[in-house]
Formats: sequence, C-alpha cells, structure tokens
Amino acid sequence: MHGKDVELQGVSMVFGDVVAVAPTDLTIRAGEFFSILGPSGCGKTTILRMISGFLTPSAGRILIGGEDMGDIGPNRRPTALIFQNLALFPLMSVWENIAFGLEARGMPKKARRERAMELIDLVALRGHEEKRTGDLSGGQRQRVAIARALAVEPAVLLLDEPLSALDAKLRQHMRAELKAIQRKTGVTFIYITHDQGEALTMSDRIAVMNKGAVEQVAASDRLYDDPQTPFVATFVGEQNVFAGRVIEAEAGFALLDTPFGPLRGRNRDGLAAGASAVLCVRPERMQLVNGALPDNVISADVERRDLEGPFVNLFLKRNEESIVLHLPNRGAAGRELSGEQQIGFSADDGLVLTSGRLARD
Amino acid sequence: MTELVRSYGRPLTAIFIGLTTLWILGMILVPQLFMAERSFWVEEKPNDISLKIDRAYADLSTMKFDLARAEGPGKDEIAGRIEAKKREIAGLEEQEKQPRKVYTMRNYTRMSALHFQIFLRTIFYAAMVTVLALVVCYPVAYAIAQVATPRRAAFLMLGLIIPYAINELLRVYAWLMILDYQGVLNTMLDWIGVTDLATQQWIPFLQSPGAVFVAMVYAYILFMVFPIYNTLETLDKNQVEAARDLGASTWRIHWRVVIPYAKPGMAVGCIMTFMLSAGSYSVPQIMTRGTSGDWFSQTIYRQFFESNNWNNGAAYAFTLLIVCTLFIFLMMLVFRVGVRDIAR
Repeated sequence: MHGKDVELQGVSMVFGDVVAVAPTDLTIRAGEFFSILGPSGCGKTTILRMISGFLTPSAGRILIGGEDMGDIGPNRRPTALIFQNLALFPLMSVWENIAFGLEARGMPKKARRERAMELIDLVALRGHEEKRTGDLSGGQRQRVAIARALAVEPAVLLLDEPLSALDAKLRQHMRAELKAIQRKTGVTFIYITHDQGEALTMSDRIAVMNKGAVEQVAASDRLYDDPQTPFVATFVGEQNVFAGRVIEAEAGFALLDTPFGPLRGRNRDGLAAGASAVLCVRPERMQLVNGALPDNVISADVERRDLEGPFVNLFLKRNEESIVLHLPNRGAAGRELSGEQQIGFSADDGLVLTSGRLARD
Repeated sequence: MTELVRSYGRPLTAIFIGLTTLWILGMILVPQLFMAERSFWVEEKPNDISLKIDRAYADLSTMKFDLARAEGPGKDEIAGRIEAKKREIAGLEEQEKQPRKVYTMRNYTRMSALHFQIFLRTIFYAAMVTVLALVVCYPVAYAIAQVATPRRAAFLMLGLIIPYAINELLRVYAWLMILDYQGVLNTMLDWIGVTDLATQQWIPFLQSPGAVFVAMVYAYILFMVFPIYNTLETLDKNQVEAARDLGASTWRIHWRVVIPYAKPGMAVGCIMTFMLSAGSYSVPQIMTRGTSGDWFSQTIYRQFFESNNWNNGAAYAFTLLIVCTLFIFLMMLVFRVGVRDIAR
C-alpha cells in the first residue's frame, strides 16, 4: 500500500445560506498522519465527506495523488472512510465485513477470504472471523472497521472520530495501535477529531479548524507552543489569557497592561505599542514564586485545589479574573496552600497575540 | 403472571387477563372453531323428502275436497284420514327441518375440478400480486426511508396514506373507470391515436387478469410499503455509505446490505399482501364483473349465499386459511426470519 497526497484548492461548502467550509487550501502529504481538529460544527466532517466524495464542494478542487476527483464518485476514489459509528454490516460475519470491498471489486471468494485473513492477523482478530460483529467488544469492532477499510488498499484512509465511542483506557490503547498501523502500511491517514489529546499524540501534523476555516496547520509541538491565533492557543490545551493593551514593544518582547498589572511575553507577531492584545500562558508554565523572582509576578488568592493525579489544578482569583496553575503533585507538601500567593512565569513562556476569538467564547 | 400482579396489582391484572382472554375467544377461537366444526359435517336428508311432502299436501287437498262433498258416515271416515295425513305431513316436515348431521371429510375431498382449478389459480394470482407489490413497494419504501429529505418523505407518506381515507370500493371503482372501455386510459390512447373509440377499437384491459392485479396492488400497497419502510427506517445510512465507499455498486449495496436488513419487513409485507389478495372479494368482483375467471373468495361466497351450503363454504374457507398459514411459514423460510423478527 502506498499513501497518496491530498490537495484541497480553494475548497468551500455552502448549505443554503450556511457556510460550512470557507474557501480552504490544504495540502496533506503522502503517507502522513494528518489530523483535523476542531469543535463540533466547525466543518471538519464536511471536509472529510468532500474528500471521500459523499459531498461535492460548492467551489474548488480536490486532488488525490495529483488527480482531480471532481467527476469521481465515492466508490471509485482511492479513499476509504471509517465512520464515527463504524457502520459495520451487522448481518455479515467479521471476515465478510472485511472482504466486502474486495467482493465489490469482483475478487473470487477464496482469494478474498485469504486476503481477509491476512488483515485479521494485522488487526489481531484471529479466531473471531466467523463471528457476527454484534458479538464483538468495542475495541474489536474498531479493528474490524480498520481492517475493512484497509482491505481495499486505499491510498488515503479517512477516519471520522472513530475512537469516540470507546472508553478512556481502550482509546489510549487504540491510539497507539492506529499509529502503528499507519506506520506499517504507509497509507495517508486523515483523522477527524475534537479530542486534542488524540490529535496531539498521533499526528504528524494537525489542522485546527474553527467556524469553517482552518486557523493553523502545524506539527503538534508547534501547535502547542506557537499557536497562531487566540482560538488555537485556547482550543489546544489549557491557557491563562490576560487581555490588555501593548504598552511597549522591544527586542521580541512586549509589555502588556493587564488587570494583573504589566506583564511581559514574547512578541512573535511584532505588535506595536497601543495594539489590543492577549497574553497567553500555559498553566504548567506558571509557578508559585519562592526565591528568585521570574520576569512576571502576579498576586492572587487561592480559591480551589483539584487533584488530577500526577498534577494538581490550583485555581486562583483576583478582581474576578481567574488563573489556573498545573503544579506537580508533590504529596503532602502542597496540600495546605491558601490565601494570597505570589505566582509568576518567564517572559519566554508568555505569548502575545492580537486579540481575537477564544475557544471558550 | 406474577410479574404482572407485582407491577399492576390484582384488579388490573384480572382486567388485563380477562380482556385478553375475551379477545382471543371472541376474535380468534370461537369463529374459527365454529367454521372448522361446520366444515366437518354434512346434512343428510332423504333425496325425495320434498317430493313426498308435496304429494302429501296434494292428497290432503283432494281429501278436503272429498270431505266437502261427502255426507253421512263417510264424512267422519274422511275427516279421520285427513287427520292422519296431517300427522304424516308434520312428521315429514320435522324430518326435513332437522336433517341428520353426519360427520365426514366429504366437504374437503369432494371439491369439484373447476373449484380446485379456481383455488389453484387464486393462490397463483395472489402470489403474483404479492411479488408485484414487493417489486413496486421496495423502491418506494427505500426512497421514503433513506433517500428523501424529511420534508419530502412526509409528503410522499401523505400521498400514500390519503387515498386510504377513501373507501376501498371507491378506489377499486376508480381503477375500473381508468381501465374500462371508454375509460381514462382508452380515451387517452384514442387521443394519441393508438385506439379509435369511434370505430369501436379499444384495448380490453379489464379482460386480462392484469386489471385485477393492478387494482389489488394499488389496494394493498400500504400493507407492503409500511412494514418495509419501518425496517428500512432503522437502517443506519452510514451502512449504505460505507458500502458505497468500499466500492460497491448500487445493485450490490441493495443485494448485500439493504435487502438483508429489510427482510423481516418484506416478510411481513408479503404475508399481509398475500393474505389480503388471496381472500379479496370486492376487487375481483368489481374489476372482472364476472366476465373473467372466478377468484376463490367468490366461490366461497357463492357456497354460502347462493348454494346455501354453509358446510361446503366453511371447508373451502378453512382450506384457504390453511394455505395462508402455510404461506406464512414459507415466507419465514424464504426470508430466513423467525417469528421474533416478524413481531419486531
């Protein structure tokens, strides 16, 4: 199997007077694990359905392996889709499910059974081939769906939140498995999800979508540490956001006037003094101040402490503005934290962005 | 039972059980048993009994005439004979009124060749109507359940249901008017020049069994559409899309995914349509106006109300019931569905 690249050229989708997908250019490289991440209703599934051929774009072109898919129906595209609810055929056995695509291509029964058994081995379902899909567990059904899609040797595998029906533990496991299968087969994976954890752990690159538009395309680390827009900054991971106005900008940093006083952060986008901006700081990049003072120091009152396990969420409040810190769980030491605390962060960990829509709005 | 008592208490449970029993008795058991019982006996009366009675009455009149003329001692003697004759007549009439009931299989075994032919033809025609209805209704049900937008599906559904607000007889008469000589269809053919009504050229639609088929398919279409629609409505659209995505042709999608799923509904639809058309009386009666072959239900009707032979009619009706029951099992076998699937 060989992955092919997918190219969206000015693709848009309009339903009536609702713009589901604004004109979008996107290039997905061959053999890449590419995720499209966004809240529900952001248009990510629409993009997937356009690539698979179930929807025809209102405008623009979709190319797979350099070939225009305009006149090619879903049953003749080199893509295979894994549905959110898997859509396994309940009246067929596991192997028949997996071999269905081969059956549709007219492969004789013996050959398709052989091929199905190879795939059953690939997804570790040996011994279940004669069962009905209804008799399988959630994870097993997941694997049948993957094997069924891979059976037709697609160049591009499209996955529509396939893990959302699984419980947390199984989901973790299936992430690793999906990634391994992708590596092994070299097929281009386009993975739709609203779960940033899934996107960050599995993907080579991620596109973050909001309201029908792609806000940023980047690798996981870049996306997390260098978000382009306030939406991406706040949608991916947690973020403390301090809104304010730039009072001075020099040498790659900017000083913002915020409700917590002046705070300094990286001025990647070169905002000038007077610009309305937000300063974003990850909760795990903030610390309680003891000893040396960091670039930025804030005083706030401890409101609540939630135990997550390996770390602790510490909520602080000052003037109706709240701040959250992720502190490593150091056992008994941190349990009695209360009252006014000094917290701080380095200017390198703060990112100044032009004001815009946040994910929580 | 205990479950019911625990959930609803004794009085309510008693009402439930009572009503159910009443229903089973009144709607199923008593009528069927009555009919079955009737079909197993014949009334046996001497062949010449009516003749004997007639002759006795004639004798009686003669005697009365004699009595009016007679005088003296002869008169008493004649009066005595009249009394004896009256008693004889009463006895004969009693015999005629209460014939001997003989239990026998005769009603079943002595079906005439003609009636048997009609019976077979009816079964065959009903099967044809069922197949026709299935072919027509499957795409309709699929379109409403899977393809149409909710708005359009509602309109299609209304379009199917509204005609059912009209009496079945009227709907059948409508088809009569369409297919009749100088009917809608022939008139339209006249317009486009295929037939010429002026020179008495027309296509005798009503003389072919097809006319009955068309009217029946139309009359029972809902009984086929609804069960199929009900099962198809629960079919996950994604399954159809998944099949298409995997490269299946439309034909294969239906053959491998949609039809297997719709089987219970198709079985129910076939059973209902078959039973209704096998037992239909009004449609063949109206459509053929007695000109082309009998439907078996018409034969049964005649047994009851024209030959006045209820026992024979009951046997015929019971035979039809048995065939229909066998048809249910056949459908369950053909569609590989259990009673449970059908009840769903």
